[in-house]
Amino acid sequence: MNNKLPITRLGKFFSQDDFDINIQMGQEYLHGDLNMKLVLYRVDRQKTDNDDVYAEAGMDEIKFFPPVEFNALVKIDEPKNSTYTKGLMRYNEPGNMILSVYITHLNELGIDIRYGDYIGYADSEEKLRYYTVTNDGRVTSDNKHKMFGYKPHYRNIVCAPTQEGEFRGV
Amino acid sequence: MGIPKRKNMINVYGKKDTYQGEHVGKRRQELLDMITKSDSFLPDSILHDDLDKGMLDYVKKTFMVVSDGTQIPIIEKILTIQRWGEFSANWEFSDGDGNVKLPFIAIIRKPDVQFGTNPSIQRTIPERHQYKYDTVPTWDGNAMGADIYKIPQPIACDITYDITIVCNKFRDLNKFNKIVLQHFTSRQAYTKVKGHFIPIILNSIEDNTPMETMDGRRFYMQTYKFIMLGFLIDSDEFEVKPAISRAFLVNESLGGATFKKRYITKTIDVVISTIVAGENQTIFTVGESINVLFNVAINGIVQEKDVHYRHLGGTSNIIFDLAGTPLMGDVVTINYYKGKNDKMYDQFDNELQVGRETFTYNGNDLSFTLSQKINTVISITTNGLIEFDEENYQLTDKNEVTLTGAPVNGSRIDFVYLY
Repeated sequence: MNNKLPITRLGKFFSQDDFDINIQMGQEYLHGDLNMKLVLYRVDRQKTDNDDVYAEAGMDEIKFFPPVEFNALVKIDEPKNSTYTKGLMRYNEPGNMILSVYITHLNELGIDIRYGDYIGYADSEEKLRYYTVTNDGRVTSDNKHKMFGYKPHYRNIVCAPTQEGEFRGV
Repeated sequence: MGIPKRKNMINVYGKKDTYQGEHVGKRRQELLDMITKSDSFLPDSILHDDLDKGMLDYVKKTFMVVSDGTQIPIIEKILTIQRWGEFSANWEFSDGDGNVKLPFIAIIRKPDVQFGTNPSIQRTIPERHQYKYDTVPTWDGNAMGADIYKIPQPIACDITYDITIVCNKFRDLNKFNKIVLQHFTSRQAYTKVKGHFIPIILNSIEDNTPMETMDGRRFYMQTYKFIMLGFLIDSDEFEVKPAISRAFLVNESLGGATFKKRYITKTIDVVISTIVAGENQTIFTVGESINVLFNVAINGIVQEKDVHYRHLGGTSNIIFDLAGTPLMGDVVTINYYKGKNDKMYDQFDNELQVGRETFTYNGNDLSFTLSQKINTVISITTNGLIEFDEENYQLTDKNEVTLTGAPVNGSRIDFVYLY
């Protein structure tokens, strides 16, 4: 086990207690007031049958751990009106979804979000869309992700919409 | 002046095996055995997946570079657009941030596969024409025969692979480069895919190292472009047909006042399918649509439709669920026409019909006059037993058949013929 390093910076103005209470207040707002819920489908990379050559799974062949509901701040980009070829074969799908999730929340749930995992987010009562994680935001060394430069407290996770042929929660 | 001494009998091949004289034939047979070791008399399919696997195996086996006492890991999969798959292929040597640790070697296949440039198997034969591959003897329980195995020309294809080494030591680059140059001094190396030797050529070496990066991360990255000169063999395109030696493909027909035998197998594709019954097997399938069913026999004894077996026109199954099932080991022969529809034509494009007539032998006359002009005799049975041997009957007129041997008085004689 790695040695733990005590974080004593900003000690005259900010402490672990301040850090914790700020997170608690933030979570009260995010989880209590906003209450944006998502479902995480963590891919079971050992049980998923994939072929020897391409590490590729077919329709409904991706095995995942039991889905976990979690809270995050959700921002979804505007849909793009695009075509596969020059002006033909139009498609229109949501933009990328960017999540901001508290690290302590993930730790409390005992989960980690990894590159390639799938996330479901309900557009409406009838429509659940699936996204795949394109940036798991694991690296949080920058100032933006650190509370006043003290310690990282949240992760930004970028997800792209996925096609039914790849994943549909089955 | 003395003659300078010269060495004689220098073995220019070193200690390698050489193939000369009769050894050439033996080596060829050995190669053929490797190709057909699946015991189907035909080569196994070679498709894109197999070629990719061959490349992965070659890279894993050949490009083993040791850096600081450990082998540089090779991502042993062709990476695709499924993101989780990429992670699952390299998580074993990823760091805490989920990044692949340096050094590593990756294999990237260009998704587009082009027509091949291998001169020995370029497109030379049009229309996917089938060519004889082998003749395989068969035994249907009664007569020796043969099947002709045919395959079309393999399709040449070129697959491009980028083998990329990413590392942070110049020495690792050198080691990798040395291995590549050693193996590709003659521009090509070979990998074995299902017994076939497939050439790989080194096309180019590129350096993509971001040397100009002053402030960012620095690493070495070199890409070796290889082209595999492969070919595709698809077993779905193979064809197995009964050879002409099969007794039931022989046709007798009348021509003027004299008789002559001729074969019309080019226009009438009559098939005898022989199946050895398994335990409690009730369904016997021929693997293709039966458009005209001539007869079904168990151990040479003709069975009656809707009494002993059922068959629905156009399907491939014969079902014995009416009056018991064949015993295990019984030989079930199914005689049918498998044309594209239920109409048959001779070589002159005349439509043919199936005639079925039954006579009772009265003890005197061995000649039987049928109601139609005989084009082709499919089968003649005596008391349900098929007369396989064509010597057992003769065509004595345009619509007359004469048996050469007398059956028991009161025997039932069944004729199935085309007219």
